[in-house]
Amino acid sequence: MKKRGRGIGCNLYGIGYGFNRPDHSAATVDVTDDGTVIVYSGCCDMGQGSDTVLCQIAAETLGVPYEDVSIVSADTGRTPDAGASTASRQTYVSGNAVKKAAEEVKAKLLEFAAEMFGCEPEKLDIKDGKVFRKDDPSDFMPFKELAKDAHQRGKQFIAFGWYDNTTKDVDQETNQGDAYATYIYATQVVDVEVDTETGEVTVLQVFAAHDVGRAINPMNIEQQVEGAVAQGLGYALMEEIILKEGRTMTPGFNKFLIPTAMDVPRVITSIVEDPEPKGPYGAKGVGEGAIIPTAAATINAVYDAIGVRITELPITPEKILKALAEKQ
Amino acid sequence: MSEFSIVGKRAERKDVRSKVLGKALYAGDLYRPGMLHGKALRSEYPHARIISIDTSRAEKLPGVHAVMTHKDIPGINRFGLAILDQPVLADDKVRRMGDAVALVAAETVEIAEEAIRLIKVEYEELPAYFTVEAALAEDALPIHEGGNLLQHTKLRKGNVEEGFAQSDIIVENVYQTQRVDHAYIEPETSVAELDHEGNLTVWSSTQYPFRDRRQIAPVVNMPSNKVRVIQMTTGGAFGGKDDITTEIQAALLAVKTGRPVKVVWSRQESMVCSTKRHPMKIFIKTGATRDGMLMAMEGKIYSDKGAYCSIGHFITKKAGLHLSGPYHIPHIKVDTYAVYTNNTICGPYRGFGILQASFAHESQMDLLAEKLGMSPLEIRLKNALKVGLSNATGQVFEHSVGFYETLKRAEEYMKTHPLEGGVE
Repeated sequence: MKKRGRGIGCNLYGIGYGFNRPDHSAATVDVTDDGTVIVYSGCCDMGQGSDTVLCQIAAETLGVPYEDVSIVSADTGRTPDAGASTASRQTYVSGNAVKKAAEEVKAKLLEFAAEMFGCEPEKLDIKDGKVFRKDDPSDFMPFKELAKDAHQRGKQFIAFGWYDNTTKDVDQETNQGDAYATYIYATQVVDVEVDTETGEVTVLQVFAAHDVGRAINPMNIEQQVEGAVAQGLGYALMEEIILKEGRTMTPGFNKFLIPTAMDVPRVITSIVEDPEPKGPYGAKGVGEGAIIPTAAATINAVYDAIGVRITELPITPEKILKALAEKQ
Repeated sequence: MSEFSIVGKRAERKDVRSKVLGKALYAGDLYRPGMLHGKALRSEYPHARIISIDTSRAEKLPGVHAVMTHKDIPGINRFGLAILDQPVLADDKVRRMGDAVALVAAETVEIAEEAIRLIKVEYEELPAYFTVEAALAEDALPIHEGGNLLQHTKLRKGNVEEGFAQSDIIVENVYQTQRVDHAYIEPETSVAELDHEGNLTVWSSTQYPFRDRRQIAPVVNMPSNKVRVIQMTTGGAFGGKDDITTEIQAALLAVKTGRPVKVVWSRQESMVCSTKRHPMKIFIKTGATRDGMLMAMEGKIYSDKGAYCSIGHFITKKAGLHLSGPYHIPHIKVDTYAVYTNNTICGPYRGFGILQASFAHESQMDLLAEKLGMSPLEIRLKNALKVGLSNATGQVFEHSVGFYETLKRAEEYMKTHPLEGGVE
């Protein structure tokens, strides 16, 4: 018999290293002589999309087109240290470092432009690749022209930004204190169908609502969430490194089973934006938060479907059949 | 209209074209003139003293350029993300299956593998501990100096006895999670090369080149300003490439031979040797009032670290700090124990201990809801952390606590997407 159930899973996740572990990032932003921009950041993009997000932050801050911003990342010979791409910290910490560097570059550019416009720098702004008078936007100069002029006069617009996210330590005896700079939060809803004869669990659909502070790139967040849900379902339902007296009995994908495309259901992502004032444009992060509630929601969905509570992951068909037999 | 030009937009990813067109260069795609291939001999015992290592036959094999044991390391023979507890090449003993004992650089992978088979290691087996309970037993031998309990942390908020006394209903359970692998599509890979000025470059699949450098330089006995680490396009990491994997092995062999050396872990090596997500045993007791308000939570977390720390003491601590979930609970007591065993190493994996915590606290929430005759959603809405409410460490935020809104979104979704064929 096939029975369906729905489960909820929730979590919070502290962004960054927390409890006084050193947590900083540095970046350099350089405007080249044709007005295109290079971000130098030690941040590793392993597929999560940090290169993209850091370029978006630089483009937004400088007021130049995103297409004109490129990035050199994660090379100890060329880039400043941005800390590790872990702890869901890079959008928040490196995002802030890039933003600070870009703000300084922008201030220098406006100072230079003020001479050409014959006004105070405060009267000027940059947006969409144009430097313009705030009181009269029709009086503008293309950003690229400004950069070219500046370089011909030997001026360089390059700045270094550094952001420190190190928090205070918690009390050693009680762990009380401000452990993390900020947290991300999530709720996921998982729908399953359980075959009570085979014990097999089929996941029908997943809804994932994630508070990310601000979505710098909503598509990136959806990608993060979809990948994380697939990984989270693998954790919930099939993945296990089995050791026998220390020896790995599952050393390949023929024994260590992970979800295939056939196992991954439709994922509906709902992005909650509750901006964090200290984050770049209000952003916090998403990477790790996205995977956390999936297994919990799946466990609760299985219970909802067949009334047995599995307390040992993963929820294999064998465990389900055993639990069903014990229940009867 | 948005106040932003590009923030909040679905901007095309900077890496998408090179990846879709198959042009992105991964570390494994690098071929340098004269490049050799490196392989490691791995321990066959989970806990054993090394009596002797005989490399003579391997050294004589044609095509072999270097065979290295711990005696050939120019600098320190230790590395580790947080604690330098891991030997690059086992010296006095091995602490798990898969500890690297010797390295070979040869002209082909096949020759390197053959040479590995020709190395003879004499071991004296030691008692090995495969569970947290066994490792913590009084008569257990220490896997590391300092004993098998790596860390104990305590979280104390309010007074749990009082909290349970105020509770009408208490749910108590034990949850066990398993060890899992990151299963990234690209296995661990590095290429290392010395240049004409004696500078060392390591191209790698990594999450943090600066910390790689910090760990490579002392082993090859070079200053940091002569070691350069470059991240290549990386095919997934999820925490598994936070630790040193192939970087030091490639660097040592390149320094020894003066030739570029590539080290690629096979999928089997990756499964056996890279870090895994910690199995945790979680004891948890949660109390609530008749109207569903959480009053107290008490928990104990035992995490199986495997043979080395990686960064697992922080992961275990973080799991403890998050065990009460995204809820306001006035009285909390949590103890966490990170324990060395002779199992595969556990380290960071996306979620950093919080999948284990949420499995426990979310199971508890549903159990409480059922006993109280409430819906799972209702009990969560009642107890949700909000601006102004303290979390487990007593921290109170004035901004950006968006949890309640995620629950409201879920509520809306469940209303508009009823589960068809569900059990009433």
